[in-house]
Amino acid sequence: MSALVIVLVLLPLVGATVCGVLVKGGRDATARSAGFAVSLVELVLVAVIWGLFDPSAPTRFQGESSVEWIPAFGVSFALGLDGIALAMIALLAVLVPIVIAYTSFTRAAERFPDGPDGEPRGAGGFVALMLSLQGVLVALFAATDVFVFYVMFEVMLVPMYFIIGRFGGARRQYAAVKFFLYSFLGGLIMLGSVIGIYVASGTRLGAATFDWAELQRLAAQLPESTQIFLFLGFFAAFAIKAPLVPLHTWLPDAGAQAPIGGGVILVGVLDKVGVFGFLRYCLPLFPLASQTLAPLVLVLSVIGVLYGALLAAMQTDMKRFVSYTSIAHFGFIGLGIFAFSQQSVAGSALYMVNHGISTAMLFLVVGMLAARGGSTQIADYGGVGKIAPVLAGLFLVAGLTTLSLPGTNSFVSEFLVLLGSWPREPVYTVIATVGIIFAALYVLWVYQRTMTGPLRGEAVVGGGPGAATARALAGGPGFSDTVDTDPPDATRRARFGDLSGREIGVLAPLVLLIFLLGFFPQPVLDVINPAVSATMSEVGVADPVGPNGVAR
Amino acid sequence: MGSQSFSDALGVDYGALAPLLIVLGGACVSVLLEAVLPRVRRRSVQLVFSLAVVVVALAAVIIRATSGAGDVVVLAGSLSVDAPGLFLWGTLLALAVPSVLMLADRSVEPGGVFVADPEALAEAQERVGAGSLRSTSSGLPSGTGTDTHGVVGRRGGAGPEPTTPPEMHTEIFPFVLFALGGMLAFSAANDLLTMFVALEVLSLPLYLLCGLARRRRLLSQEAAVKYFLLGAFASAFFLYGVALLYGYAGSVRLADIAASAAGPLRSDALLFAGLALLVVGLMFKASVGPFHTWTPDVYQGAPTPVTAFMAACTKVAAFGAILRVFTVAFGTTALEWRGVLWAVAIASMVIGTVLGITQTDLKRMVAYSSVAHAGFILIGCLAITPAGLSGTLFYLLAYGFTTIAILGLVSLVRSGDGEAGHLSGYAGLAQRSPVVAAALSFCLLALAGVPLTSGFTAKFAVFSAGLADGMAPLVIVGLVCSAIAAFFYLRVIVLMYFSDPAPDGPTVSLPGPMTTVAITLGVAVTLLLGVLPTAALEWAGAGTFLG
Amino acid sequence: MTTTIGEAIGFWILGPVALAGGLGMVFSRNAVHSALWLVLTMLSLGVIYMLQAAPFLGFTQIIVYTGAIMMLFVFVLMMVGRDASDSVVEVLRGQRVAAAVLGIGLAGLMIGAVAQSVGVPLAAGAPSGSNVGGLGLLVFQRYLLAFELTSALIITGAVGAMVYTFAGRAKSKAITQKERVAERLRGPLEKFGSRSGPGVFATADSVATPALLPDGSVAPESLSAIIEATARERLGHATELSRPGDEHDTAAHSHHAERGEIQGSQT
Repeated sequence: MSALVIVLVLLPLVGATVCGVLVKGGRDATARSAGFAVSLVELVLVAVIWGLFDPSAPTRFQGESSVEWIPAFGVSFALGLDGIALAMIALLAVLVPIVIAYTSFTRAAERFPDGPDGEPRGAGGFVALMLSLQGVLVALFAATDVFVFYVMFEVMLVPMYFIIGRFGGARRQYAAVKFFLYSFLGGLIMLGSVIGIYVASGTRLGAATFDWAELQRLAAQLPESTQIFLFLGFFAAFAIKAPLVPLHTWLPDAGAQAPIGGGVILVGVLDKVGVFGFLRYCLPLFPLASQTLAPLVLVLSVIGVLYGALLAAMQTDMKRFVSYTSIAHFGFIGLGIFAFSQQSVAGSALYMVNHGISTAMLFLVVGMLAARGGSTQIADYGGVGKIAPVLAGLFLVAGLTTLSLPGTNSFVSEFLVLLGSWPREPVYTVIATVGIIFAALYVLWVYQRTMTGPLRGEAVVGGGPGAATARALAGGPGFSDTVDTDPPDATRRARFGDLSGREIGVLAPLVLLIFLLGFFPQPVLDVINPAVSATMSEVGVADPVGPNGVAR
Repeated sequence: MGSQSFSDALGVDYGALAPLLIVLGGACVSVLLEAVLPRVRRRSVQLVFSLAVVVVALAAVIIRATSGAGDVVVLAGSLSVDAPGLFLWGTLLALAVPSVLMLADRSVEPGGVFVADPEALAEAQERVGAGSLRSTSSGLPSGTGTDTHGVVGRRGGAGPEPTTPPEMHTEIFPFVLFALGGMLAFSAANDLLTMFVALEVLSLPLYLLCGLARRRRLLSQEAAVKYFLLGAFASAFFLYGVALLYGYAGSVRLADIAASAAGPLRSDALLFAGLALLVVGLMFKASVGPFHTWTPDVYQGAPTPVTAFMAACTKVAAFGAILRVFTVAFGTTALEWRGVLWAVAIASMVIGTVLGITQTDLKRMVAYSSVAHAGFILIGCLAITPAGLSGTLFYLLAYGFTTIAILGLVSLVRSGDGEAGHLSGYAGLAQRSPVVAAALSFCLLALAGVPLTSGFTAKFAVFSAGLADGMAPLVIVGLVCSAIAAFFYLRVIVLMYFSDPAPDGPTVSLPGPMTTVAITLGVAVTLLLGVLPTAALEWAGAGTFLG
Repeated sequence: MTTTIGEAIGFWILGPVALAGGLGMVFSRNAVHSALWLVLTMLSLGVIYMLQAAPFLGFTQIIVYTGAIMMLFVFVLMMVGRDASDSVVEVLRGQRVAAAVLGIGLAGLMIGAVAQSVGVPLAAGAPSGSNVGGLGLLVFQRYLLAFELTSALIITGAVGAMVYTFAGRAKSKAITQKERVAERLRGPLEKFGSRSGPGVFATADSVATPALLPDGSVAPESLSAIIEATARERLGHATELSRPGDEHDTAAHSHHAERGEIQGSQT
């Protein structure tokens, strides 16, 4: 299994190199197919590892491997999986092929900005960057060495920076730089803490090390004051990445300017690194500080829930809307983690997976809509359900999973978080519950404005910027038969085709997962739970929720 | 008294001294070659000879370092050949190889940077047809070397009159070797007097080299004069400091100063006044903090290959000397003076970062970034621990190669009348020349300290040493400054990748083999030290200074 | 170590004189005066050395610095011209005041540091043996490396001076009359026919362009009777005297002027 984990890291990187070479050679289409194939192989590998993963194993990590990297700093390239990391890697492995397929094989993929030759940039470069990002992210989730984690934490910015900067929307430069600088600043603050814990391990353990397990052992010896300083360094980086509210301003820009595929991975997986960091690094390595500072994080989380929801409702741009809903969801995840109960933490871990799926769904549907209308402004659409019923239906599904309707995946995790948080943090839980109402409000309002009612909006009926694209999409002989029945409506309809088979194919796995995890979350919970219990025992807080799920 | 016993009394260990003797001897021979050889053959012979000297000296250093020979003090205690000293020598010589290659290159500019007579060259080319030259300067889309066109043009219109190849100041080779010899002696000097003379030996050729760009004569000579005047001023400070320290300890030997400071109690006024003046001189050379005022002008005005040599090698030598002085002579009194140097380090980091943001010329930006980096390196120097020593040494190695690569790349981007220094010239570079843009981005990321580049490993080594020695505030300032500095490195990357090139923007010259090798070496080492730094780190941490 | 009365008297006379010489050097406007002030300082220092029982050093100081180096200075000044003086315009506002304050502050610090240590016996002891022998031992044993390194400094200085002074124009091979004619006939930029002699200011040498008098007005006798009208017309637009059509001529002339200048500087 350890060999498989290493392959898991290397395969996307090799694939990215191959794609890069193919793109350089001018074979964009081959590059896209090769990239898609690589991502599928990666998915199969993850499935195999998932099968091999033993939830009842006594060790914290499985499939561990370690190669000495910089002995002078006590660094080794150490990989290993716990349940949460495996879940995140699996999420990534599911999303990457979908994103690549969406970008490469559907005509709904948005037009990339022009390259040097005046033609839009081919998707091959995007696929190569996406695969390299996947490799880095897998290494990041699987790292059991703090140094390796830090390195990957910074390196992942580079492909994402280029994804936003090269393939993004009109203000992509600004968004890319803002994204990079925010994250880099956070990373450097974290570097201070990484160095700090390294130095502390040198003085207290005898030999300075970056090994996660060793550092976890160190946690018992560190005085609380030191822990607080080190915790804050890590926390700053993760709070920017997650993002918690005062540090969130880069996300709406990056989310809105990134290409749809980039946005899916950015919000769906890359931001999870922040909350993953809370779970894997902040809590186990600095247990005392985590407990002391928990109110701070809880306050920020709850503010995030309400603020994100309110701002989401106010947005006029659909991509920004999706970004703000994510900020609200990250608030829930933060609440669950720092409520310190088995249920809430497990709920948060599950939420990380579910939010990835639902955000991906929402982003992709928005992308398909925007590819037709040529605009991401909410005001440009209206009554889309009449002319594109399938699209509207899937938009509704995406919206419902975002507002955590029972039966969809998000419900399970949100419920677990609130249930687990209640015994210890009733006040925060009550406030956060208000966020659910807001969620229903903003999702349904957007749906109502864009999908229902009479046909309206510049993108739907006017000569909007997307008219040409839409004609190209809807072209083909099959359309002629509708023209003579209802001429005025048909001209509109000609602008705006419904989803094609390929687009439905891209969304189908996500819809499947949304309902599957909505009804049977147990397989994922089984994998997550051991890691959650381990984290709880590392924090050393008594679980306020009894084994039967009732508060003590 | 036979010669054998004489050399014994002096402690002439030729094995230990070999690198220094080879370089200085090579420099003298190089001057002779200058006198003996006919003009047309000088350049190639000098180039091969200088490279051979540097490589042989490097080999001598490596042999010495791997032979396990112990640390020795030679020449009656004036030179200390110890493990860190050997690392510094190795670094200097390794950095000299790409520097010499870049200095000798003539492919980027017709006749090279050091062409003796640009007007004559321009005239010769004008004679054979103004048309072909114009077409190159107005700029073909990408990757067309100016020189190839020049050659074609010359051949096309030459007719019966063979144009002589433009002459170059081949004296730069002995200058570089002398400067290198001075640097070797400077970083290994065991007494302050030798250190002072070595400082002059390394400085004078650099002053001269700075003023030798005849194409941009005024800028170049202004840089040389500025560097010379301020350098002389700093030397005076250094010398005054030496005098005071001699008054204090009765000796200029580093170890004696430490012994005096540890001896019976007496007024330390002379000691610290001497240290202060000494530090001014040293910090000037290393372009640290408030003593940096020469750096931007000189970096910008000097010929780019000289800037590269200066930025990389001078920094190594100066910080080598700073490390040695701090550790050997003032290590015992560190607690008393370190606070002042904290302020210097903070000033350096803040000045370099804040002023770096406002720059619009890439070479000036590199200059300010070097000031900021000097502040980072100083953190390592102030931690008078083995970790601080090895971290600083590693930082110097890493920074040197990255800087050389950056300046090599800068020299390739040219508009009609020379290098396109202004940032706007870099707009859309990735479309004109993806390879150059990628390499430059990589090096800038290394300067910013992104992991998997040498810059990160180096920063990590220095900062962890600083933190372990109780300098948490300094490390925090360093981290914040790194974050701010990332902004101006990124700005260049943004320009290169996400902006549209100006239609009359600069072209990217196709580098000749020598510049290519230099740049490749710089980029490769930057990557290698980022991914697999173990060997270098181990060598850097192999030993401590010999008292 | 005790100080004899004679030594003390000598020091207290020569010290202020040396100091005055230094100040005089810095503050005198005339370069020659500066040099002479410096001579005064060096002479005083030489004598102080002798008073301190270092006659060799004292004489070396006088012979080398005062005799050789200062004379070089004065020679250079003689060639450059003694009235070459610095600009006294202050570029940065308040720079002098700041420099003065900071300089005096630094001096105060230094004096304080030294004064504080005067009471403490300094560590240096008198060298044993003879003056010259002691120096020789120091130079050729203790500081052999520094001494040898100095040679590198001198070589660099010499080569550098040559590079900077002789780097004007590369010596091209002598061009014969025949080659020159051939060049002029073949080359694209040169003009046929003779050109104005050196020292004549002319933007064109056609008959249609009148000569100019030193005050810029037209010399009446140079106006051609036959093409007077043309000349008048052109004179009406003074700017046209150097219109693009005359480019070759301008180029040729600037070329001329430059060559003349460089030759001049070499002689």
